[in-house]
Amino acid sequence: MDFSIHVAKVVRIGDFELWITESMINSWIICAVLILIALIVRKAIKNPQKVPEGIQNVVEFMVDTLDNFAETTMGKHGRKFGSFYGSMLIYILLCNLSGLFLGPNISTPLPGEPKVLIDFMRPPTADFAVTFALAMITFTMVQGFAIKEKGPFTWLKGLTEPMWPLTPLNVIGELANPISLSFRLFGNILGGTIIMGLYYNLPWFALIGIPVALHAYFDIFAGVLQAFIFVMLSMTFVASAMD
Amino acid sequence: MDGLFEMILNFLNNTDRFALILSGSAIAAGLAMGAGIGPGIGQGFAAGKAAEAVGNNPEGGRQATIVMLLGAAVAETSGIFALVIAIIMLFANPLVGREGTAVVLAASGIGAGLAMIAGIGPGIGQGYAAGKGSEAVGKRPKLQSQIIRTMLLGQAVAQTTGIYALIIALILLFVNIFF
Repeated sequence: MDFSIHVAKVVRIGDFELWITESMINSWIICAVLILIALIVRKAIKNPQKVPEGIQNVVEFMVDTLDNFAETTMGKHGRKFGSFYGSMLIYILLCNLSGLFLGPNISTPLPGEPKVLIDFMRPPTADFAVTFALAMITFTMVQGFAIKEKGPFTWLKGLTEPMWPLTPLNVIGELANPISLSFRLFGNILGGTIIMGLYYNLPWFALIGIPVALHAYFDIFAGVLQAFIFVMLSMTFVASAMD
Repeated sequence: MDGLFEMILNFLNNTDRFALILSGSAIAAGLAMGAGIGPGIGQGFAAGKAAEAVGNNPEGGRQATIVMLLGAAVAETSGIFALVIAIIMLFANPLVGREGTAVVLAASGIGAGLAMIAGIGPGIGQGYAAGKGSEAVGKRPKLQSQIIRTMLLGQAVAQTTGIYALIIALILLFVNIFF
């Protein structure tokens, strides 16, 4: 069994090697789908109506739900962040659920010779590089908004509280946040991917019906839950850094 | 004492490579499943608390049951991680075909299994959260969505050490670190 992330192509720019991995390609596909849907919706509601109907109704309901979600989690700062965290939630959700959809699946039977098949996609969030990048966005936002709201000196002073000898502990605590955040998403999705991969290696009679239940738990339940938890924790971190 | 140590080392070095790695993996698969203690206790606690909540306030029984099921499903996570590691050991063992000293590979396998026992903690903790959540929903069924939100957030944080254990176990199994 092979659960590693496959490299589709190595692009050389001078001495620098850029590895185009499976996760990057899948992530681009998800971005393209999201942009396409956004463009279609934009065309469909070119003339917004006072009394919404059809697609406008659905979109307004979604935006409203996401805005409310941001507002109940972040309190008074919520309005500003609704659109950002709403998009992040949709992106992570689609990444987690992408294992249910067909797409390019790269395998390297011989090293350096990638073969592209059409199969179920490997979720991009089962790659630590992707989840760590997402967690670093949160980390940058936490520190950035803390400096912006409190001013650099209050922010630095906040790290020495309650006593100055505790400064290293505070710094480690801040640095541990993105690590635990990224590993939580990565570990859960990778665990699901591995167990599904192992299950599909069983003989045919074990593959009747039972995979539905497994997909429902590992892909849908865990995927939706982890997407929510990642976004909710990010929101909580940012909101508490701003207070 | 030295003689005994040397004897064990000699035994390990002279035993067949495959046998040594496979026996290490077998012990590890068994050890990993020890993590099941945690979810067992935790889910039992959650079930008990939910039953109590239903008994106290049958009106909010349905909501309390939903919270119990949701929380118990999350508390199951560390048990499932242990199962993932044990199944990898048994059916897709990456250590067997690897270059390197057999003793170190067998020990990596046992280490991966041992690491998963950390799942006891998150299992009990998340189950406790699920139980308290269903108790609270039983008292005030109207606050269900807020209580579920707080419960899931706390359970996710309680999962952290279990995730670390899974990462270390996967590194021991799949990444060639010692050579």
